[in-house]
Amino acid sequence: MLEAGASTRSKTPLKDRLLLRQARFAGTGHYEVELALKKEDPINFELLYTKLVQIVFNAHEVARLVSASPMTRELGEVIFGLYTPEGDAICLSHGLLVHVHTVSRMIKWMLANDYEEKVGFKAGDIFFNNDPYIGGAHALDQMIVIPIFWEGEIIGWAAGLTHVPETGAAQPGGYGAWFRTRFEEGLFMPCVRIGEHDTFNHDIEVMVDRSTRTSVWWHTDNRAKFTGARMIREEVQRLVASIGRERYAQAASEYIEDSLRAARERVRRLLRPGRYREVGWRGTIIPGEEMLLHAPLEMTVRENGSLVLDWEGLSSAGWQPFQGSLPCMEGLVLNGLIQHVLFDARHNEGTLLIVDLRVPPGTCCNPDNILYPTTLWGPAYAAGVATSQALSRAYYAGGYLEEVHASSALSSGYTAGGKDQYGRPLGAHNMEFAAAGMPAQARMDGLDTSGVEFNPEGDMGDAEIWEQTLPPLYLSRGPRIDGGGFGKYRGGNGIQSWYAMPDVPDLEIGSFGSAPIFSAPGLMGGYPASALLMWVGHDTRLKEYAEKGLSLPACEGDDVANPAFKQELGGRWEAVIGSNYPATRLKPYDIFTAVSGDGGGFGDPIERDPEAVAADVRQGHTSKRAAREVYAVALQADGMVDGPQTEALRQRRREQRRKDGIPASEYRARMRERVQRGEFAPPVKRMYLDVLRKSAKFAREFRTFWNLPEDWTMPDETKE
Amino acid sequence: MAKHDPKELIADLITGRIDSEALLQLQRKEKDPGRLSTICQIYQEMLGWPEPVVGLVQEHLLLVDAGSGERTVRCTCGYDFGDCRRNWKEGALVYERHPRDGQIYTGPRGADPDWMVLREFYCPGCSVQLDVEMVPPGYPFIFHFLPADVETDQETAG
Repeated sequence: MLEAGASTRSKTPLKDRLLLRQARFAGTGHYEVELALKKEDPINFELLYTKLVQIVFNAHEVARLVSASPMTRELGEVIFGLYTPEGDAICLSHGLLVHVHTVSRMIKWMLANDYEEKVGFKAGDIFFNNDPYIGGAHALDQMIVIPIFWEGEIIGWAAGLTHVPETGAAQPGGYGAWFRTRFEEGLFMPCVRIGEHDTFNHDIEVMVDRSTRTSVWWHTDNRAKFTGARMIREEVQRLVASIGRERYAQAASEYIEDSLRAARERVRRLLRPGRYREVGWRGTIIPGEEMLLHAPLEMTVRENGSLVLDWEGLSSAGWQPFQGSLPCMEGLVLNGLIQHVLFDARHNEGTLLIVDLRVPPGTCCNPDNILYPTTLWGPAYAAGVATSQALSRAYYAGGYLEEVHASSALSSGYTAGGKDQYGRPLGAHNMEFAAAGMPAQARMDGLDTSGVEFNPEGDMGDAEIWEQTLPPLYLSRGPRIDGGGFGKYRGGNGIQSWYAMPDVPDLEIGSFGSAPIFSAPGLMGGYPASALLMWVGHDTRLKEYAEKGLSLPACEGDDVANPAFKQELGGRWEAVIGSNYPATRLKPYDIFTAVSGDGGGFGDPIERDPEAVAADVRQGHTSKRAAREVYAVALQADGMVDGPQTEALRQRRREQRRKDGIPASEYRARMRERVQRGEFAPPVKRMYLDVLRKSAKFAREFRTFWNLPEDWTMPDETKE
Repeated sequence: MAKHDPKELIADLITGRIDSEALLQLQRKEKDPGRLSTICQIYQEMLGWPEPVVGLVQEHLLLVDAGSGERTVRCTCGYDFGDCRRNWKEGALVYERHPRDGQIYTGPRGADPDWMVLREFYCPGCSVQLDVEMVPPGYPFIFHFLPADVETDQETAG
């Protein structure tokens, strides 16, 4: 239902209403002081909310069928929501949960920047944003917002967001580990009206056609988002016609307040009050400026059910792509909270209001310069991991072991650009990494190849669909042996795919991932997941094998340092630790891999049930080497557990620990001089110099730990 | 088979004997508000310590009321790590592991040692591995949990 001629300005400008709403919350701690409708008729209160949920879920499902992008169709990288006139989320669909807050940010940004006055909002307008400093995580995250009018006034907003595989960036497919500025990330349209009267503007679409390599996904995703948003708009208008505008507005407010109260109550009941600390890590690999990036969390769970998440000590922002905008940081932290604590509660603006999120400005999760790139999220992802780890510790301390888990995988994938197998311009990335290995739980192994933190329903998509979309051909696709963190309960293994380069001219392959570090920590004695790794094989015998119809390995094999494809096909191989690979014109029949990422492990590996280890070896999840060396399990020739030998191995391992381990005081004495002199490799040295200067708290605690004088500063050779 | 006796079920949760179906049921149903006291009671009976078990720190580590208001961190083997306001890692055995030493991670599956090492913490009493930090060389020990109901001393809390 499009209201002809309806347009703002509202009686009270929306910007003022937003400020009033924020002031009211600051003053009362409530979104709505009384839950009048809930009190009056709790059954219909719930029924109405169910109706709203149904509306946004319908939009989500239909939109997936409208798009041509495999991200949207196959993987479900989509989320829809309904918002108040001030931009507060009332109700969200399932799907790409990391963006629970980003659309809200977009609406509020438009209000705060006088769009109502200077741009104007009309019925049938279509607004678009992919500027991550306004809302979203990177240029690939694209959102559409449309106003919902009633009797000439805006009564809300309907919105959809998808992850689009091409933005016209310097590296095809939008991802690149070497971007220095925002200008390499492709086309940005910050809160632009891209359509009117429910019709997309042709001139804007021409701009997209001429600014990206493959515009079909951008366009069809926009149609998908608009279709879903329009469905929401029309259903809400029908609902308002039925129950009245005032009742709808009151209910919307009460749902937010109700969520706020439920979230507080949930935290109060389940998480043990206290102070929790975790550290997330990523790194930038710009040549000559390599630097580890530090994301320390201090989470305080208060008796009243509120949470303080303080990120003092974050690394500085800069000219590198491993950083996140503040909306991205908010999204990841809140995503962790929703998935691990508030998973069966209503999530909307109220959920977010229990959190006091403190992200220092000028850091790589709250940059003070919008020209800094944000392609790879950076420590914001690590911050999400740290939040989940801290929440797990708080669950454990409360006795709810069944909710405890180690950290989720960090994902990686490949990009492709140039011309596709049909001779058309191509820019895209493969996103089967949305089915990574899940973290180990405190009493259960992590699921293999199943999902990611940012989209718990993530799917890998069919290999055949990916082969239709992107030129590389699958040689193999399966769980990455030994990928998940080792532990009493092991992390889930991610997908490892082996691809062959087809005989397609003008095709470049690249990859994105992390620095050469561990990214997914273990918990309470479990090990982190394996480092991300990409293999690239040149001049192999693949062509000969293909021509002769010879058998190829079915998977990586048991020797992870010398995989089966490498052994079988020979040639020259590169091991790219961290999985960042610049877009490169590989030759036909060259081979490359991508790994989706693996989950962290939980607990001491030598406490793992030996039978579980033997079963994992039989099923190809754990190598024989890891069974013996990590889990200290002796297997007989038939693969069965040798009980007495296993016990002997484990006893020897415990004795080895007593020999290897030294008291903390001795460790400190051995390391102190090195620390005092600042003898670290450049990526670590740069991190320490930056953080020690930036955070007085970190510097004080660092000096205290290493027993350094108060006036000590780390030597800085770059100054000499 | 899911057990009907809630205390027995929670005992299985602690020991890891719980089967996956019972675990899923526990995840799905409303949380029992007295869980922590149930667990403390089970540990008390299981371990037979004279001092009351009053909380959980993490896998293997319990909070014990040592008298005079002092809460200590104690391993299930009986080893005492001392006052919970001080990071228990100060009382652990520490081993800094090369991330590609071939025992845990082989070849390129491990991090670059210039960037990151593994720091393992073992209980001096029973040698169980209590924590594995993935940190750059020289990083202070991470102090994971300080309960709210003990008086915080800034000197020892850091």
